[in-house]
Amino acid sequence: MAEPESRDELRALFEEFARSRSDAVRDHLVNAHLGLAEYLARRFANRGEPLDDLIQVASIGLVKAVDRFDPERPVEFSTYATHTIVGELKRHFRDKGWAVRAPRRLQELYLRLGQVVAELSQELGRSPTVAELAAEMQASEEEVLEAMEAGQAYRFASLDAPAPGPDDEGSSTLASQLGEDDLTMAAAEDRAALSPLLAALPPREQRILFLRFFQGLTQSEIATQLGISQMHVSRLLARSLSQLRAVAAEK
Amino acid sequence: MTLLPDTDEVTLSLPAGPEFVRLARVTATGLASRLGFSWDEIEDLRLAVDELCHAVIGPSGRDGVIRLHYLVEPGGLCVEGRGYFDPGGPPVGLGDLGHQILSALVDEHDVRDEEGQPVVWFRKKAATARGTDGGA
Repeated sequence: MAEPESRDELRALFEEFARSRSDAVRDHLVNAHLGLAEYLARRFANRGEPLDDLIQVASIGLVKAVDRFDPERPVEFSTYATHTIVGELKRHFRDKGWAVRAPRRLQELYLRLGQVVAELSQELGRSPTVAELAAEMQASEEEVLEAMEAGQAYRFASLDAPAPGPDDEGSSTLASQLGEDDLTMAAAEDRAALSPLLAALPPREQRILFLRFFQGLTQSEIATQLGISQMHVSRLLARSLSQLRAVAAEK
Repeated sequence: MTLLPDTDEVTLSLPAGPEFVRLARVTATGLASRLGFSWDEIEDLRLAVDELCHAVIGPSGRDGVIRLHYLVEPGGLCVEGRGYFDPGGPPVGLGDLGHQILSALVDEHDVRDEEGQPVVWFRKKAATARGTDGGA
């Protein structure tokens, strides 16, 4: 981390960078303002995106701001950079199809929904309808569906780690369930060989895709088999399909 | 429990960008909920709508419009997505894996090209309409 510098020193550095476009000066300027990027990223936290991802997005905005800032103009860099970084963060959420102002109430409803789906499925011996869920949660059907949609952000909330929440506690044991001798997995690998796209996914996502799309198990059945929640299966499936599309797009 | 007449049709016209696919999902789940689809089936429907839309607009969207027709049938829902794009864009479609995925999610589906524009449709029935209980 760079030492804090005075405004005059920073302005001199910006002027030097405007002349030289030196990478070293650019790095220095970026490092000197990482605190601002992190501060702004935190203001977008708690909307279903991991903070680390947001800080990364904000840092990209910061680099753009440093590159584009014109020290001749009568505006402070922090003011200029704030606009650029916030723009980058908003674009990040927009690209995810996630309304930045998604109400917390819906997010909470979604988190509760996971539990109620599990309880009612157990009680009824089948997947509940939306009407049944709404009655149980004392919410309208529209609210239940909106909450389901609000959960989309959680589906993409963490690409590398299980999302936090009480319904995800089984996920850490999932990897350990995927033994090398697992016959189902071996079959999944055969399928994966048929599709190089599938092979790009982590083993547990491959397995869930295999069980759902090749074996025809329902999400609830997969959840029971793997000892995780149906919501978690849903998240992993949506995420995997999104990743597959991204991989397909690159090819 | 079917609250809608069997012939109801809903049409939705959206800019062909990924950020609008949400609206296609919400419309589908709203109709399916009224048709008595189970939670599992609605989850599948959401994934199927995603696949359908991305098969029409491609992974990152296109300049133009996607028009969705939701046809409410006895015990099920038929969704068709149709692209309205400038000619000469990148070819879109499902691919083998996409077909496999939709086969698992819905009862019937098809992809075709009409005058250079992609058209994808599927039909999904509620388990109760198929005479099964809680099936896929």
